[in-house]
Amino acid sequence: MSLLKTSLHQYHLELGAKMAAFAGFDMPLQYSSVKEESLAVRSSLGVFDVSHMGEFFVTGPDAISFVDYIITNDFAGAGMEKAVYSPLCRENGTVIDDLIAYKLSNEKVLICVNASNIEKDWNWISSKTEGFNIQLENKSNDYSLLAVQGPKSEEVLKAIEVISDSDELVYYSAKELTKMGEKIIVARTGYTGEDGFEVFTSHKMASTLWSKLLENGATPCGLASRDVLRLEVCYPLYGHELNDELTPLDASLKWTVKTAKEKFIGKEALDGATSSKRLVKLSLEKGIPREGYNILNMNDEVIGVITSGTMSVELSKGISLGLVDRDKFPADKKFKINIRKNNIEATYHTKAFVTGGHK
Amino acid sequence: MSHNIPKELKYTTDHEWAQKEGDIISVGITDFAQSSLGDIVFVELPEVGDDLSKEDSFGVVESIKSVSDLYSPLTGEIVEVNSELVDSPESCNESPYGSWMIKIKVSSEDEYNALMTPEAYQEHCESL
Repeated sequence: MSLLKTSLHQYHLELGAKMAAFAGFDMPLQYSSVKEESLAVRSSLGVFDVSHMGEFFVTGPDAISFVDYIITNDFAGAGMEKAVYSPLCRENGTVIDDLIAYKLSNEKVLICVNASNIEKDWNWISSKTEGFNIQLENKSNDYSLLAVQGPKSEEVLKAIEVISDSDELVYYSAKELTKMGEKIIVARTGYTGEDGFEVFTSHKMASTLWSKLLENGATPCGLASRDVLRLEVCYPLYGHELNDELTPLDASLKWTVKTAKEKFIGKEALDGATSSKRLVKLSLEKGIPREGYNILNMNDEVIGVITSGTMSVELSKGISLGLVDRDKFPADKKFKINIRKNNIEATYHTKAFVTGGHK
Repeated sequence: MSHNIPKELKYTTDHEWAQKEGDIISVGITDFAQSSLGDIVFVELPEVGDDLSKEDSFGVVESIKSVSDLYSPLTGEIVEVNSELVDSPESCNESPYGSWMIKIKVSSEDEYNALMTPEAYQEHCESL
């Protein structure tokens, strides 16, 4: 099967990006270097083409109650124009995907899902609509999505007139705006831990915005730096910390499961349940923990596995997330990671490796 | 994309270079290798005195995204290890041919003579 292309594919090739297959798309992995791109987002401004991600629209009188029913987090109680991060679970509590739902109006919700799960999510969500007065549309192919991330994101988006002072977009909110004669959706969300925006537009407008952002000093950033940035701030990634076999509780996402809600899919399974795993944050001074490496206790017994690992650009050390069996979690909170022939003692972190500057 | 392939060195299909000085052969990774890997952030090297057979893994080089084994182009004994690379792995990006990783003492020149010529290695890179 040939790979899908985003609307900006040609721009990536012209910039000399290293391309790689991701979720069926030919995506830019990096342009200049992962280091430069990560640092640009932390200190200034980066732009990511994340048009591969999926966009579903729920419209109609029951739009909000429907989304509240299918996700575990509280959507009904969120304010107008708020964004809500949530797992999407089965009746047995296992995670189909994690997503962000945007409450655009009383009767309109945008759900942004992982590219690799678009079909799975669509099949699931569209099978659950009975009894709700809604319309559900998969517009993943109609939208481009630019993630504009970094401390200068607000300033530059204002300079190129994507947002204005009167738009008052606070952190984790979204608005439908008319810009350059076109309806776009601008959300103050992202996957880097920095202040930033995600702009959902037509393909045509995306190329205009991409060029304007680069002209205004934004560094084009690929999926490789995106992964480093999200791991530094300990955001989970589906297929790594989350998968079809785990519940949100296993991935330390209890805060996204609002069992006080009257009803939602998975409530019976998740209410009062304990996790079988614990998510740990481990770093190494020397060496880089990688996905699949074993986590050990001080007696060198295997107690878990690394789910994501990389070299932190910000800290210049190996950082990782891993899942440890709950019943083997060591009381002394001391861990080792097996790298090739060596079991190396790791540093256990209770907070994210890097504190992003988001508002 | 064109890469720097010095004429005075020999090469392997795994993108290592070898330089001969008497019966001592220095080994490193090529410009093509460092460019494909991207930012090199970690290098793990063996101990002096280790014996290597041709194609043995002698260490690891890691970029932010990937882990790659290093394979010995030759049979022999490791007589020197460039431990400076462990502290400054970025040298492999900045100066791949200045960043030798190990020096191997060989008992015969045959394996060295059989390595790829710069011309053959160039063709190999172009075919990838």
